[in-house]
Amino acid sequence: MADLSQDASVQARCVGDAAIIYASDYLNKLSGERIERECKRQLESGRRALIINFRDTELVNSIGVSILVGVIDAAEQSTARLIFSDVNNHTAELFQMLGLTRHVSLASNEDEALSLVSEAQP
Amino acid sequence: MIQPRILGRINRDEFFGRDAELRLIGRHAVALDDTRVLVAAAEPGAGASELLRQAYDQLFARRGDPVPIYFAFRAGETAAQLAPRIFQTFLQQYVAYRRVEPSVCQARLTLRDVLELALPGDYEFIAGLFQLFQREESSTENLRTFCLNLPQRFAAARRPVFPLIDCLNLQPLSRELTLAHDFVSAFESSSAPLLIAVLRRQATELIHGFENGDRRAHTIMHVDRIDDDSARNVADAVARRYGIQADEATRDLIVQQLHASPSLISEFLRTAHEKQLPLAGFVDCQRLYVDELLGGSIKRYFDRVLELAGVGPQSRSMLFRLLSESATSASRQASPWAWKQRLDFGASEIERLIGVLHVRELVNSSGALVEVNPNWQTWLDYLNAQYQVEVAHEPRAQIVASTLLHMLKRSSQTMARKYRREVALGIDEVIAGFDCQKVPASLFHYDKFSARYRGEDDEAIGRGLDNEAELFELPQVVQTAACAAYSGNLSCETERCVVAHGFESGEYADANERVWICAQIDSKLEASRELTADWCDRLSAFARQNLFKHVRIWLIAPAGFSAGACELLNERGALGSSHQQFEILKSRLAPQETDDTLADEFQMVLPMSADTELIAARTAEQIARRVNFRPEAINQIKTAVVEACINAAEHSLSPDRRIYQRFVVEDDKLVITVASRGVVPVLVAGNGETSDKGNGTSRRGWGLTLIKSLMDEVEFERVDDGTRLKMTKYFGKS
Repeated sequence: MADLSQDASVQARCVGDAAIIYASDYLNKLSGERIERECKRQLESGRRALIINFRDTELVNSIGVSILVGVIDAAEQSTARLIFSDVNNHTAELFQMLGLTRHVSLASNEDEALSLVSEAQP
Repeated sequence: MIQPRILGRINRDEFFGRDAELRLIGRHAVALDDTRVLVAAAEPGAGASELLRQAYDQLFARRGDPVPIYFAFRAGETAAQLAPRIFQTFLQQYVAYRRVEPSVCQARLTLRDVLELALPGDYEFIAGLFQLFQREESSTENLRTFCLNLPQRFAAARRPVFPLIDCLNLQPLSRELTLAHDFVSAFESSSAPLLIAVLRRQATELIHGFENGDRRAHTIMHVDRIDDDSARNVADAVARRYGIQADEATRDLIVQQLHASPSLISEFLRTAHEKQLPLAGFVDCQRLYVDELLGGSIKRYFDRVLELAGVGPQSRSMLFRLLSESATSASRQASPWAWKQRLDFGASEIERLIGVLHVRELVNSSGALVEVNPNWQTWLDYLNAQYQVEVAHEPRAQIVASTLLHMLKRSSQTMARKYRREVALGIDEVIAGFDCQKVPASLFHYDKFSARYRGEDDEAIGRGLDNEAELFELPQVVQTAACAAYSGNLSCETERCVVAHGFESGEYADANERVWICAQIDSKLEASRELTADWCDRLSAFARQNLFKHVRIWLIAPAGFSAGACELLNERGALGSSHQQFEILKSRLAPQETDDTLADEFQMVLPMSADTELIAARTAEQIARRVNFRPEAINQIKTAVVEACINAAEHSLSPDRRIYQRFVVEDDKLVITVASRGVVPVLVAGNGETSDKGNGTSRRGWGLTLIKSLMDEVEFERVDDGTRLKMTKYFGKS
């Protein structure tokens, strides 16, 4: 059963070994840090995969993106899988421009992201 | 409606060339501007006293608050004389205004007469002032103190006044100047608007202490000589009034020789009328001019200044010798000490003499050196004539003959100079507008321009220039002056040869300092190599004489330069343009329409606080939608705006914590500027690149990289304080 948690307006739920974290409409320093904190919390609790869902995200700024780099580092250190889902075209373009897509997979929606997670598991 | 003449000495419809100044004064009277004191800093003979009187008449006719009060200080007036005159002027003009009876303004009245004329509603207030005046009358000091506070007393009684104080007759280092300073300082400290007219070289002395840390304390309004067209209108109007028939060329000559001075022009024509002299051509005009120099209004004008300077009959001869030597010698300058020795004057006498001549602009004094002002031809003519009379002691008939012959020979040169001035390209104005703009490089290289565009129409040239990849970044010019204003013996006309000092790259550093020397040269055909070499040599020698470093020579010839000349220009690193190139450059440098009322321009100031960049992004989105940008382009613009705001907030150490934004929709693009005060971030001061490589591993410094990727053009514009980022997005691109 999915477990829904909320940390200072960051929504997250767990599906099996994966945690799905929902980004807000504007990814800036504050919202980025909330995502980062939630991701680290999920990793510490043993999740093997993180899915950040950007379905509500209309705008991102470079500070928010730089914090995502921190999340990528944290996931790599924990050998956890990190997937971004529901990223709109403009944000995807920015992620690509800044090199994030070399370190993280993009999925068109949550189901696709969960499939990627299950494919990767032994 | 014709404005009635009250204090004005000429009718409003004959008062030309001062509409802008009258408007400014009108706005200041009703506190529509942002300053307490408007200081009219006037060139001698520019008609500033009449400007104040005309302003008074205009305000009198306009009615409403405040009540205008015109007061003129007089030379040699003591405190005991001054205070009662100020008091009576204030009361009399106040009563005249309230009664709407202009004739009361200057009527010969006693104070009791004025009191009797006060309207019933004003009687108590005026009587109260009158009683106070009588109480203090026995002590000059008390009376002075009482009068110093007159504007405040009127204001306290809710009867605001607008003093227009004429300080144009004050002599340097005089007692009345100190008195005037006390009065205007006291008037200034009231919150009411105040206008002070003063000779421009005396302005600092009179208004020192005004600021007191308040930047809005005063604003300077320059009252220079009126332009030639306005002076010609004056001559036309006065000639009409006196029924004098003068052809246009003669009227132009009168204007030129009398330095466009309305009072001298009026006096000149009045004399012609009184003596019933015709002005049917240059001979008539110069004959009268010589008369005026030797014994008429011109002589009286300059004699009066010399009298004020303390020059008595015994010292006149030596003074004319000194001044003539200064006017004609190569060095032109002498020390005050040399003047003192030769005139046998005491220290205070010489100080007063030079002070008066300096503020009246007959000499230029730096303190250490004195020279005759070479730019006032009427004064030089007077000097020359008086030298012949009082120093050379030549027979009068001979002086008249030689002066008249000289004037007639000079007439054509005077007019030619005027015509050349009128068709001058306006190099100084164009250079002053360089402001670090980038222009097609071919505009400064006649050979390239000619190769590409010879025979093309304007439209094709415009298209070609728009597409040129090689751009020339102009300096930011901070000062321009005619070559003639510098030392050296470069002989050229003021408007045609200009020195401009500035900085390249908009950065105030020694390495970026540049001196441009620009000359408009004459040549019917393409300028030859010889002519070009001659000009380059002359300007280079001029630069060396003046110790200019980092010099750029720019020659402008009507038809451009021959192949050999272009080769020479290139060899010497000089620039060469034809008149056509110059005019194109001028049009390209013309300021863009930045009127606040433009329909397609939006400005916004945001505080630097959390998420305010979102407001900017939403605004940019709305504007971009209005001009039908595609959705992906709108997103790019929004992100760029967000990043620009973040950069401004993070890096600027902004003292006001504000972000200034401007969105301008042009024909094919949206231009967004985001500015902030404060320090220039290293990434801007350097090469504009971040250290980020966009590999997704570094944590910060992506803002500028993103902006550059998302927008079509990005540049940092030069500003004195902080940064201004200009971002452009074209409609047609994604």
